[in-house]
Parts: sequence; structure tokens; C-alpha cells
Amino acid sequence: MSTPASTDNAAGSVSGAGVETAPRGRGARLVAPLAALAVSALIPLVPGLPQFWITLLNYIGLYALVAIGLVVLTGVGGMTSFGQAMFVGAGAYTTAILTTRYGVNPWLALPAALAVTGVFAWGVGAVTLRLSGHYLPLATIAWNISFFYIVGNLDLFAKFDGISGIPPIAIGGFAFSDGPSLYYLIWGAVALAVIATLNLLDSRVGRAIRALRGGVVAAESFGVDTGRARILAFVYAALLAGLSGWLYAHLQRAVNPSPFGLNASIEYLLMAVVGGAGSVWGAILGAGLVTIIRDQLQDWLPWLIGARGNFEAIAFGVILVLLLQNARDGLWPHVLRLCKARPATRCHHAEAGELAPRARSAGEQRADAPVLAVRDLRKQFGGLVAVNDLSFAVGRREIVGLIGPNGAGKSTTFDLVTGVTPPTSGDIRYFGEEATGERARVIARRGVARTFQHVRLAAGMSVIENVALGAHLRGHAGAVGAVLRLDRAEEARIFAEAHRQLGRVGLADLADRPAVSLALGQQRIVEIARALCLDPSMLLLDEPAAGLRHREKKQLAALLRQLRDEGLSILLVEHDMDFVMGLTDRLVVMEFGSRLAEGTPEEIRNNPAVLEAYLGGVA
Amino acid sequence: MKKAFRIAAFTAAVTISVSALGLIASGSVARAADPVRIGVTVSSTGPAASLGIPEANAVALLAKEVAGHPVEYIVLDDSTDTTKGVANMRKFISEEKVDAVVGSSVTPVTLAMVEVGAENKVPVVSLAANAKIVEPVDEKRKWAFKTPQNDRLMAKGIADHMAANGVKSVGFIGFTDAYGEGWLEEIKPALEAKGIRLVAVERYNRPDTSVTGQALKLMAAKPDAIMIAGAGTPAALPARTLKERGFKGPIYQTHGAANNDFLRVGGKDVEGSVLPAGPVLVADQLPDNHPSKKIAQKFISDYEAKYGKGSVSTFGAHMYDAGLLLQAAIPAALKVAKPGTPEFRAALRDAIENAKDVVYTQGVVNMTPTDHVGQDDRARVMVQIKDGAWKLLPASK
Amino acid sequence: MDLSIFLILLQDGVINGAIYALLGLSLVLVFTVTRVIFIPQGEFVSFGALTLALLERGQTPATIWLLLALGVVSAVAQVWQGRRTLSARRVLAIAGTDLALPAAVAAVTMLLAPMKPPVVVQIALTLAIITPMGPYIYRMAFQPLAEASTLVLLIAAIGVHLALTGLGLVFFGAEGSRTEPFSSAMFEIGSLLVSGQSLWIMGVTAALVAALGAFFELTLTGKALRATAVNRLGARLVGIAPSMSSTIAFTLAGFIGALSGVLVSPLTTIYYDTGFLIGLKGFVAAIIAGLASYPIAGAAAILVGVVEALASFWASSFKEVIVFLIIIPVLLWRTWGAPVVEEDDH
Repeated sequence: MSTPASTDNAAGSVSGAGVETAPRGRGARLVAPLAALAVSALIPLVPGLPQFWITLLNYIGLYALVAIGLVVLTGVGGMTSFGQAMFVGAGAYTTAILTTRYGVNPWLALPAALAVTGVFAWGVGAVTLRLSGHYLPLATIAWNISFFYIVGNLDLFAKFDGISGIPPIAIGGFAFSDGPSLYYLIWGAVALAVIATLNLLDSRVGRAIRALRGGVVAAESFGVDTGRARILAFVYAALLAGLSGWLYAHLQRAVNPSPFGLNASIEYLLMAVVGGAGSVWGAILGAGLVTIIRDQLQDWLPWLIGARGNFEAIAFGVILVLLLQNARDGLWPHVLRLCKARPATRCHHAEAGELAPRARSAGEQRADAPVLAVRDLRKQFGGLVAVNDLSFAVGRREIVGLIGPNGAGKSTTFDLVTGVTPPTSGDIRYFGEEATGERARVIARRGVARTFQHVRLAAGMSVIENVALGAHLRGHAGAVGAVLRLDRAEEARIFAEAHRQLGRVGLADLADRPAVSLALGQQRIVEIARALCLDPSMLLLDEPAAGLRHREKKQLAALLRQLRDEGLSILLVEHDMDFVMGLTDRLVVMEFGSRLAEGTPEEIRNNPAVLEAYLGGVA
Repeated sequence: MKKAFRIAAFTAAVTISVSALGLIASGSVARAADPVRIGVTVSSTGPAASLGIPEANAVALLAKEVAGHPVEYIVLDDSTDTTKGVANMRKFISEEKVDAVVGSSVTPVTLAMVEVGAENKVPVVSLAANAKIVEPVDEKRKWAFKTPQNDRLMAKGIADHMAANGVKSVGFIGFTDAYGEGWLEEIKPALEAKGIRLVAVERYNRPDTSVTGQALKLMAAKPDAIMIAGAGTPAALPARTLKERGFKGPIYQTHGAANNDFLRVGGKDVEGSVLPAGPVLVADQLPDNHPSKKIAQKFISDYEAKYGKGSVSTFGAHMYDAGLLLQAAIPAALKVAKPGTPEFRAALRDAIENAKDVVYTQGVVNMTPTDHVGQDDRARVMVQIKDGAWKLLPASK
Repeated sequence: MDLSIFLILLQDGVINGAIYALLGLSLVLVFTVTRVIFIPQGEFVSFGALTLALLERGQTPATIWLLLALGVVSAVAQVWQGRRTLSARRVLAIAGTDLALPAAVAAVTMLLAPMKPPVVVQIALTLAIITPMGPYIYRMAFQPLAEASTLVLLIAAIGVHLALTGLGLVFFGAEGSRTEPFSSAMFEIGSLLVSGQSLWIMGVTAALVAALGAFFELTLTGKALRATAVNRLGARLVGIAPSMSSTIAFTLAGFIGALSGVLVSPLTTIYYDTGFLIGLKGFVAAIIAGLASYPIAGAAAILVGVVEALASFWASSFKEVIVFLIIIPVLLWRTWGAPVVEEDDH
């Protein structure tokens, strides 16, 4: 029984680039962006500022839009995309075709460009996002290369020469055609994108996206449709790219396939990673850094080397590697450290109203059927029978323990009843309703919440955000509501609920710590708080006491008893015999995948078969 | 709150120092008395590097002084990338205050640059060949000129040669890019005019390692001749594959293939190939009365003295010709206004448009308000590869 | 399309596929051992082919200067990284592998190159120049990032790719080269004309695959490499330093890349930037194999080659579109076939 301190450190270093979301305090939330806005609005007015710098800043803005999308997709969502340039192209070509051939006003072409990009991304995503692991980056490479050649070979897109003569964006008689006016337009768009993205990430949907990295199984078990979250992140990133494309077309006034090829996509990814893919500010920093380094190399290298050669790419490659070696999470975290910034703290709206309880099914409200009934459950892996025709039940207000020696099939049973893996045969019922083979997120809707043997907390999120993920099914706000901040009342209620549950398990004062910085035992307790946020009728706990100190175990046992007395049913798998014997109402003992015995702790303690098989070595 | 303040302070600090640097940078650029400044952006890297490198090299041979005024050239690389080309263009205009821009190497990049040139009223002399860059001369293309021969002129040379040699049907294989596309567009009408049928069209990528499939498809259509539209050494691959697969008919190349590396890589596989080219390619073989002979020989000897024997190519000659064109036009513009002014740029544009009898390394140029290329048949010779060297063919009737 | 055309295309596809297979194998090897998706793999192909072409013309290839420079930087980097634990023996070893070796290779090359030695010697020189670049690049670029995420390693690989492509342009110029075939023999098999060179490629690929197989199955080092691939920590516990296995993996990558270049250069013109596209197709094969299985990577590479050959016959302007879009169903099939695993990529 130990809580290795080293685990904390290892986990802490992993968390590295935490995701930034808007801090909640109203004053703090507004000051930084407003200051940034004010300063950036003044830039073009600085007397004597070379005009080309404005041009560079305009390009940086265009790249930053795409890179911000990559923050959501790659930095937060964990999906690497080599296809962003293709979406920039979709936006740019849409507006180019509409404005040059059909005389459409650029402002009217904007929604069209976004719609085309969005639908295109949704289509690509629907096919591609099912892909796991490294298949996804390759698939995006494939799409991007195909896009390049399709555009280059079709008359619709004017082939490789592209479309020129695109009109500038105009309001009334004023055309955005020179550097400074475009500057305001582009950086206005960047500002909106930053606000929208911070809002999105700091919301119910955002938490789902943030849970994608390393937390898919956990998120699914709280009712998050991670497939939808993935496609949402993908489409959102594509929309920002499409917006960039729209601006690009009207800045450049000509489009052709070359800026939308694979190389450009690689460049966008590179910007996001160099700046720090975990944060929107990192994306802007990265876009600026890459653009400025490239431009400056062009100016300085001939002077340094003394000869005109093509050394820019070489120098750029070397600088890139050196940057990563010195700042592998990107440069933004270093800038933050320089400013000695601390992670934002949330002000928790304890005064916010109560979160509505989860809607309960008819079966859940009935009192006659057992909460969980398992009959003849069987799981085979090839020739190996992991669970062999197991039957047991958990009644109302009952704590049942599932015990057995290592390899007895407890964990597999747990995976079967929580919908992580489908059974080979047999029958699972919750509240008398058939649930065999249902997926984890469907089972969560039935009011079943769980914890994990190997703790699954999303790395980039704080303790309270992880807990709030548990309340996913109790909220309704969508992505649009989040971006427009229409979800604040609900969010406040969700966080008040999360805070309440954290308080219930005794970890309220750790709410704002990064989840992975906690001791392992505490992380288990956080998982229980997260489970409680679902407002469950049943709790499934996988070794909740592992890693806890003696006193903590006592507190946990007291909490679980209290929960039972409040009406919850609990099934737990546990190794710690003292803990189980003192806590549970009933025990199911497994051996070799089958049920060996069942009864009260007292009966089990005296069951000769159990003593023989399980405790045999000790007795 | 504190963090917010720090971020704001940091942003402000960065902005201020950046602006300060900008002030210093802009203030410290001391300019010589009224030099004419020419911005050059070419594709020294990326897919068109084989064009851009000799073009950039040739800048060193351009006139440093015209009519007593120093001429400065600022050379940038656009990596064959449109965005970069346009950014270079804007840099030339806003930071370098150039009077004219030369470039870029390929059509798509140049087309986008022409937009910026027209918007800022800066003349652009293109080194890319497509006629779309200067045709039709409208409000925008008023500012665009071009030194390479129109593909149309070259295509006509090929079609004439084919007709004279009894070719009735042709297969085409070209790059899957703007170069191949541009040629396909021009060769179609040229062949039609001579009653030659285009029986198969295939495409390949510059870095492809195999064109066997395309070669078989071409040969299945049984054309009398095959033309290959590729630039530089990659144009040798289809020729080799066709020979390997037993194609016996004549093979035509384009002037894009006309450099010595092409001969080196092509070897015996390109023996006998016919192509249209600028006179500079066979300068020594030109008849003494050819107007371009002298200047072409001078260009070749200067270039090779600087970059080594056999290094010369027609791409460098396009840059040299752009220099000649500007050299001819600058004196007239100087009479109107001082360099670095909008008036000078407008006068320079007018002077280029009125350039008459300017002798290029590749023909003689007479610009008009409707023709911003200004070349005639003297800008093209037909060449055959014999014994691993370019051999001038007698002009066909 | 009749049978004879189909057979010719098939042959063409298999030959190209064999080169992709070599690169695919190398990518799988490097990834499983070091988690680096080694984008610059293709540059070794270009460097190998163009170095050989220069040697063939009796010129001293500039790549020897790159080799020397990489060796020196690698030595400095190693001495710096290990400055606290450095022993005299270790310093000597570093000096030997990173300074003396490239110096010797460069000296021999400068001596022999103008003499136009027989092609076997040229090839040996080429391999000797290019192969050590693999481990040097590993030590400079990737060793300091050993614990970083796959994404960061990937971006670092892109940085190396950009730098090497730029160097390739400086060394070799924009135009391509092509070398003399080892064998100009032609064999007639039925209606099919098979060149000696293509038999060379097939033979060497098969031999290399067999040799790799034997290396992993039979030798201690090979087993250690596999152990590292499966479990880095475990490998360390049984006394295999990950940096050692990584060095071996990158050496093999350099060797396979250079060898592919030598093999392919008589078949087609190679440019300073050809490597990327060839490498990308090798990458396609490697990914289809889940960056894990050598036999699947080999088979997938051949498949890519054949699809490419057929596509270039049917619809040459959309060749790349066909080649790349056809892998998406394959990837979907691979995803559905594989069990769902949590992606814990930190």
C-alpha cells in the first residue's frame, strides 16, 4: 500500500502544455484580450512603421487563423491533420469562383465559402475520422494531395493557372485593398476566432473535445459521443481555415493550387507546434515566428553567408529542430513562464442554481426489478473463456463486492457490464431493461456511472473540469451556444454541481489543480466525484481503494455507505479484503471466470470453497 | 488579473520594440542618388528551381548603370509559391520602393503578381511564358510585360515542322502542372491549323520515377509523332521510356527542355528529338545576319565565364533579355521623372510599351499597346539534337 | 488493355513497389524503435543516387563535406550531452565513429573519385558516405528529443527534411541525374521483356528483407531492437540502451535509403527532391502496415506500386489522386480490423 510520490512527478511532467481557457473572473477575463486588442489596433498607426511589416502581419493573421483551428484539432483534440491547406483552398476557391464568375459580393460569398468548407470537412471527416492512430494523419495527407491534383486538373477551378482578378472586400465605397485596412479586417477575424475558440474550449462541448486525448473511454462512459466530438473539432478547425481562405483570396486577388498543397499543410502544423499547440496564443505566436523567421532569413542570410544561395530552407530546418529541442511544448509555455503567469483559477458559482437532475427512465423509477441483473454472461477471447456463464444481481440500495483472485475475470466482467466490450453471450439488464451489448455511452444514459482501475482523467484538464465532464448528460448546450456564450447559466450550474460533488468526496480545495498532478489515490476519488456528477442510480467502482491510505479508505467507506443510504446501488471490484468485508452487503466470488460463491461477508468468510480456492494459500 | 496584466505588458513591450526596430530599419536605409531599383523574384527553390537558378544567376550580368544612373537589383526567391511571390512583390513595392519588378519563373505565381503590380502601378516583366500573363492587354495587364516567347509561337514552330515532315497524328505527354497545361492549350489549335490530329493526351509529374503506363497508352493510339511538354531534365524520362518500349517515330520536345543537363541525362535516348527554342541556344550556328547572334554570344561567354562551361541555359537568357528591355526603356523614363516616383514608374511602363527594335538574345522586340511580348518569328529557331548537341535546323518555309 | 500491356504495367509497378517496400521497411524500423516518423528517409535515396552519379562522372561529391560536418556536430553534441559522465574511452569512441570514420571516407573518396574506379567501388563509396549520416542525424536532431511526443518528433523530422532538401539543392543543383545500369542485359519471358536492372532491384530487395528477417530473429542485437520496439522501459531494464538501438535503427535507415538510391538511379532520373515523393509512398505502405508489420509493409508497397502503374495508364492526370484516395478504404478496413485502443499519446 503506497502512494509513490514519483508517480506525481511523472504525471505532472506529462501534463506539460495545459489547455488554456478563458479565466472565469469577469475582470481578468476581459483585461488581457482588451489590452491585446488595444495594442494591436494601434500598430498600423505607429509612424514610420515599414509598410511591409503590415503586409507580414496580415499574412501572420491568415496563418494564425488556421493554426488556431489546429489547436482545437491537434493540440487539444489529439488528431494530427495534414489537410488544413485543403480547407483554406476550399474557402478561397469558393469565393474566387463566386465573385469572379457570378459577380457575387465578397460578403455574400463568405457564408457560402464557410458552408462549402464546412460540408466538405464534414464529408471528409465522416469517412476519415473513424481512422485510428497514425492512419488519420496519412489519410489527411492523401486527401490533401488529391485535392491539389483535382483542383489543378479541372476546368471548374481554372486548372493550375488558377483564378485571378478577384475583387477586394468592400463596405459601401470603401475597399479593403491596402495593407492597413486589410490588417484590421484580418486581425478582427483573428480576434473573433480567439474569442470563439476560448469560449468553445471552456464549455460542455469543449470538455468533450478536450477529453479526446487519452480520455476517450472515460468520456464515452459519461455519455459523450466522442465520434461527434471528433467531427465537431474537425469541422471547427476547417471553418477557421475556410475563413482564412476567404480572406486570402481577397488579399491575394488570385488563387491557384500551389498555396493549398501538402507543403502548406505541413507548414500550418509546424506553426501550431512551434508556438505551442496547447493554446490559441501559442498558435498566433507560432504563425508569427515562422513567418518572421522565414522573412528575416531571406534578408540576412545572403549578408551573413556572403553569397547568394538557396540556404533559407536549410537554415529554417535547423532552426526548427533547435527550437523544438529547447521547447518541445512550443514557445508559448516559455513565454508564460517568463511572465510568471499562473494557471487561471475559476471562481465557482456556488450561488448558481441547482443543475436539474438527470431524467430517469421508467424502469429506473420502478422499485421491483433489481438494479443490475446478469444472467449466463459469457466472454470468450478465441479459445480462452474469460467469463463463464456468470450470473449475479445487484439490488436497490445495496453494495455488492466482486472479488476473486487475479485472472478470475473480474475486470472482464466489469468491462462487459459497462459496455466497453460486448459479451459473447448472456444477458445484462439494468432496472429490468435489456442492456446487453449496448455501448458505454448508452449505458451511461441509463444512470450507470463508473470509475476505472487505471485512472482515466483527461491530462490537460483541471480537477474540476474533469469532474464536470461527468455531468455531460445533464447539460444540453451545443457548440454554437458555447461560441456565443449562451451557455453560461448552464455552465455555472454544472460547475456548481461539480464543486458540490468534489466537496462531497472531500477534495474541494484541489479543484483548480491539474488533474494529473494529484496523488494516484486522490485521482481515484476524483473519478468518484466525476461519477457522482452523472446523478447516477448505480455506481460501478473498479478498485476504488487502491492507492489510498488507511484514513482515506475509512472516509471512502463512509462516503459509499452514505451514498447507499441515499438510494444508490454500488458494485465494486476490490482486492483489499478488509475494505470489502467491512463495507459490502453482499459478495460475489469469482474463480476462473465462474461464480464460486455468493453471500454476505460473514458467509463468504466461512465458506470452505472460498477459503480453499481463494484464501487457501493464507489459511 | 496579474497574469492578464503581465500578458498585456508583454504584448505592449513586444509591439513597442518591434515598432522601434522598424523605425531604425526604415531610417537607416541610406540611398544612393536616384538609383533605378529593380525587384527580381524568381523560383530558385521548389519545383521550378531549374528555371529560377539560372535566372537568378543571370542578374549578375545585367547593366549596373543606364544613362548615367546606377541600377540596383534586389533578388528574392519565391520557392515557386504564389503566396511567397506576392509577398515578395509587396515587399519590393512597400519596402524597397522598386521602379519595376522582374519575375517570376512560372505562370501561376506571375499571374498573382500581376494583380499586385497593376494595383500599385508597378511594371512587371514576366519570365514565365504563358500568354495569359499579358493577353488581352486590359487595365490590369497594362502593367505586365513578358520576355519569353509565347508558347503559341513555339507551338506553331512544332506544328509547321510536323506538317513539313508528313506527321498526321500526334500523341502528347506533358507535366501535370501549369507548364504542361499551357502547352496543351497552345498545341491544340496549332495542330488543328495544320490538319494534324491529336490522338492521345497523357500527363506525368516532374519527379515521377516511371511513365511506363503513359508511354504504353500513347503508343496504343499509334501516333506518327509524340511531343513531350516538360521542363529541364524531367523531359528526358518519357523519351527514354518511349524508346525502350520501341517507339520509332519522331519525338518533339519544347523549349523548356533546352539546357545542357537535359542532353547529359537524356543521352542517346533524346538523339534526334526536335524542339523549338530561342536563338540563344544555338548562337554560334546562327547565320551571321541573324540580329541576335552577337548579343547571344556575348551573353553566353559572360555567363559561362562566371558560372562555368556548359552552364548556360535559355532561362538565364530570359532574365538577360528582361535586363535588355529595361535598359532600352529606362532612358526615356528618366527624361520624364526621377526614379522612385510614381511618375517614373508610369513613364517606365510607357517606355517599355513603346520599345522598338530591342535586340534580345532571342529575337527582336517591337512592343505595342496591344502586344506586350512584341516578338516575331525571329525569336524562334527549330533545333534538333544530333550527336549529343543542339543543331540548328534550316528555317522551314 | 490487353494482357501484354497489363503484364508490362505489373512489372513496372512491382519494380517501383520494391523501392517503396525498402523505404517502407526502413520507416517501420525507425518508428518502432524510436517513434520518429522519419520523413527525411527519402532524402537518403536522392543523396545516394546523386552521389553515385557524381562519382560516375569522376567528380568528388559534395556530400563528403556534409558527412564531415555532420560527424563533427554529432561529436560535439554527444560530448556536450554527456559532459558529466564522459570517460576517456567514450571520448575516444566518439572521436572514432564521428571524426575519424568520416575523415577516412572523405579521404578515400577524394583519392579515388577522379580515377573513375569500377562501379562496385563507386557503390561502396556511396554507401559509406551516406549511411553514417543516419546515426549522426539521429544524435543531433532526435536524441535530445527522445522522450517528446510523436507529434513533436514528427515536426522535428520535417525540420530535418527541409534542411536536407535544401542541402540537396545546393550540392546537386535543380537538375537531375541518372546512372549507368549495373547490367544492360535484357531477358525475354514470354511476351515480357525484363531488364537486368529490374532483376537486380527485385533480388536486392528480397535479399534485404530476408537479411532483416534473419537479423531480427536470429541475432542478439536484432532481438534487442525488437525488444526496444515493444517496450522501451523493459528493454532498458534488461540492459539494452535505447540510444544504442536507435543508433542501429538510424544506421540501417541510412543504409537502406542509400541502397535504394543506388538501385533506382539507373532506372529513372533522380532529382534533389525526388526522395520526398518516393518516401511518401513508402510511408503509405508503412502506415497501412500500422507502422508495425514488416511483411504487410512490403506487400502494401508492392500494391501501391502496381496501383500507380495502372493509374498512370488509365488516367494519368489523376494518377496521384487515384493512388492516394485508394488507400483510404484500405485504412478504413485496417481500422475496423484492429481492436479499438486508447490513444495515450503523451
